[in-house]
Amino acid sequence: MDISKYIELVFTDYTLRTITLGTAILGAITGMLGSFAVLRKQSLLGDAISHAALPGIAIAFLITGAKDTNTLLVGALVSGLIGTFWIKSIVTKTHLKSDTALGLILSVFFGFGMLLLTFIQKQPNANQAGLDKYLFGQAATLVESDVWMMAIVTGLCLIVMLTFWKEFKLLLFDADYTKTLGFNTKFIDILITVFIVLAIVLGLQTVGVVLMSAMLLAPAAAARQWTNSLAKMVFLAAIFGAFSGVFGTAISSTQNNLSTGPVIVLVASVFVAFSFIFSPSRGLLFKQIRVLKNRRDLELHKTLAFMYHIAETHDNISHPHKIKLLNNFQGYTKSTLQKLVDKNYVERNGSMWNLTQIGFETAANLYTKQETEDE
Amino acid sequence: MNSAQIEIQLIASLVAIACAIPGTFLVLRKMAMISDAISHAILPGIVIGFFVTQDLNSPVLILLAALTGIITVVLVEYIQKTGLVKEDTAIGLVFPALFSIGVILIAKNANDVHLDVDAVLLGELAFAPFDRLLIGGTDVGPKSLWVIGSILLVTISLLILFFKELKVSTFDTGLSASLGFSPAIIHYGLMSVSSVTTVGAFDAVGAILVVALMIAPAASAYLLTTDLKKMLALAISFGVFSAVFGYWVAHWLDASIAGSITTMLGIVFLLVYLFAPSKGIIAVIYRERQQRTEVSLLTFLLHLKNHEELEERHVNHLYEHINWQKVRARSVLDLAQKNNMILIEKNIVSLTKKGNEFTSKAIDYIITNEDSQIEDMKDDFFLFRG
Repeated sequence: MDISKYIELVFTDYTLRTITLGTAILGAITGMLGSFAVLRKQSLLGDAISHAALPGIAIAFLITGAKDTNTLLVGALVSGLIGTFWIKSIVTKTHLKSDTALGLILSVFFGFGMLLLTFIQKQPNANQAGLDKYLFGQAATLVESDVWMMAIVTGLCLIVMLTFWKEFKLLLFDADYTKTLGFNTKFIDILITVFIVLAIVLGLQTVGVVLMSAMLLAPAAAARQWTNSLAKMVFLAAIFGAFSGVFGTAISSTQNNLSTGPVIVLVASVFVAFSFIFSPSRGLLFKQIRVLKNRRDLELHKTLAFMYHIAETHDNISHPHKIKLLNNFQGYTKSTLQKLVDKNYVERNGSMWNLTQIGFETAANLYTKQETEDE
Repeated sequence: MNSAQIEIQLIASLVAIACAIPGTFLVLRKMAMISDAISHAILPGIVIGFFVTQDLNSPVLILLAALTGIITVVLVEYIQKTGLVKEDTAIGLVFPALFSIGVILIAKNANDVHLDVDAVLLGELAFAPFDRLLIGGTDVGPKSLWVIGSILLVTISLLILFFKELKVSTFDTGLSASLGFSPAIIHYGLMSVSSVTTVGAFDAVGAILVVALMIAPAASAYLLTTDLKKMLALAISFGVFSAVFGYWVAHWLDASIAGSITTMLGIVFLLVYLFAPSKGIIAVIYRERQQRTEVSLLTFLLHLKNHEELEERHVNHLYEHINWQKVRARSVLDLAQKNNMILIEKNIVSLTKKGNEFTSKAIDYIITNEDSQIEDMKDDFFLFRG
């Protein structure tokens, strides 16, 4: 299938349109809230919450006996919140560290959820099939009302975020200062946490409990590489998340046997890898290039200094010397010599070189004055 | 109990022991989430290994998958070292990506691979006794029993051989490095053991529940003791108890064995978390309340010592002056009286000789910035605690 045909299909086909829109909105909201999770060093909290939501889904089903998405998600929300606050209480009240608390709640809640799910499957009730879609998510089961639900929550979240933007930002970067200013940090903290849990719960149907944490982390981690401003980061993360959703849906819908969740996660991971490597200020590629450039500059300086010390001993600074002389000096290569010639610091005649007046002065001042521009 | 049931419980118990040992060290080294990462990330290794060997219990597959686990650790550490993201974010980025690859590989090759996604998450402990190991035609027991048994044997021998090194490097990396044990070797050794154990246990209990078996017993044990050997022993017993008990709960509910074992682990942790003698939540809250009253008492005594005037020492005035609610003030007053620190005459409070001595000492400690000494001093002075 070619691309233009696919795009046409996205606008005409009900299912594809719903799924694309749903995953895009989901990506945007998780990206947005994920930025806060990442900056608050709570990256793995998302992982724990999404796993902790599973027993809630099962219990909601056991109580109501209905498979209505919203009811199940309310169950997920409640058990996700219980998990979150239990983690917080373990970390604050005992000497167990946050990683232990996270791993413990994550696995125990998930195991309990699996116990309930397998228990439900054995029940003589025709209604129970399809609960396991919450494990890996099935974007194909999204219907228009689900997308509306996501859109409403996203809107709500946007309003709250804009209203409390200043408070969120303050809490993020200087919690103590926020407290001294008289803000109710506990309230703000709970507000952020509740919204993060909400975003995770929304994604369960599409991406599933196992992979949901990546939706929260990946767009935010990618966005972080491109900017140092919170507003820009949140915005970028939302865009990365939305695009991961759209591309992931596109790729998985054109192939058989590809669940949407894992594909979306992989697309988001590609965004992360790309950002890690190619971001201009923090990226690994440019960092490496800067390192190499600095090393070359340093070698150039060393060569020049070495030449200067030779030239110093002669009355005429431009007295020619053999190139061979440079061979027992480590920093010397043909290209560095050529560079010095290009900069007019050195003149070269056959196998001889001599410093120019400019070269001599630069070398003399090399370590006494700070050269502002890179040589 | 038939032989299959005994075998299942035996396998579950061995898995629990094999997980509890590296788990204890992971918890102590604050690397518990690494086990989560490994357990997810080995999935592609297992699938690829399955393509090669066509046997879930083959040693080649286990080594291949364990290698994926170690690659994950290296990858996480590489990302951490670049400083582009915080360390926990690095973990959170790597394992979902690898797990996704594994899920996609399974889905794309559903026909060739006798592996389904449910089995990945839950394991198939119930079927473990049916896959027998035949040596020269004789049946020597289930394959997974042998697999996990050998892993456990290796783990225990490594533990005994390197116990001292592990202990030192866990609690004081600097000291262990200066003594000549390379922290890197011990770190990667532990990671390798964790990976191999995870892969071995994967077959029995699945990807995520293996995390529970590693962390939950160790976390429960850590709340009960601060002695490494006792902690290991407690973790192992919690693990085995949950494995056996969980099996019977699952049998009774006719539900997933692995899920039930994990739930048991969760209940064990919950009980310990609530009722552990000194570190449990109830003990902590009780102690916090006690300390709060005692700090109030100290403040109150200091106030008395500072004021000679009668009106400052009048009972009613104290309510207003120190700004406590009545109930609180009463309990503090009672405590002080019970401990013979104060004397109340005609509603005028004054310090006794003992109260005076206590307060002077406390002031000395506060002035010299040795507040923690006050805690020890309380034992000498208090007949009743707050």
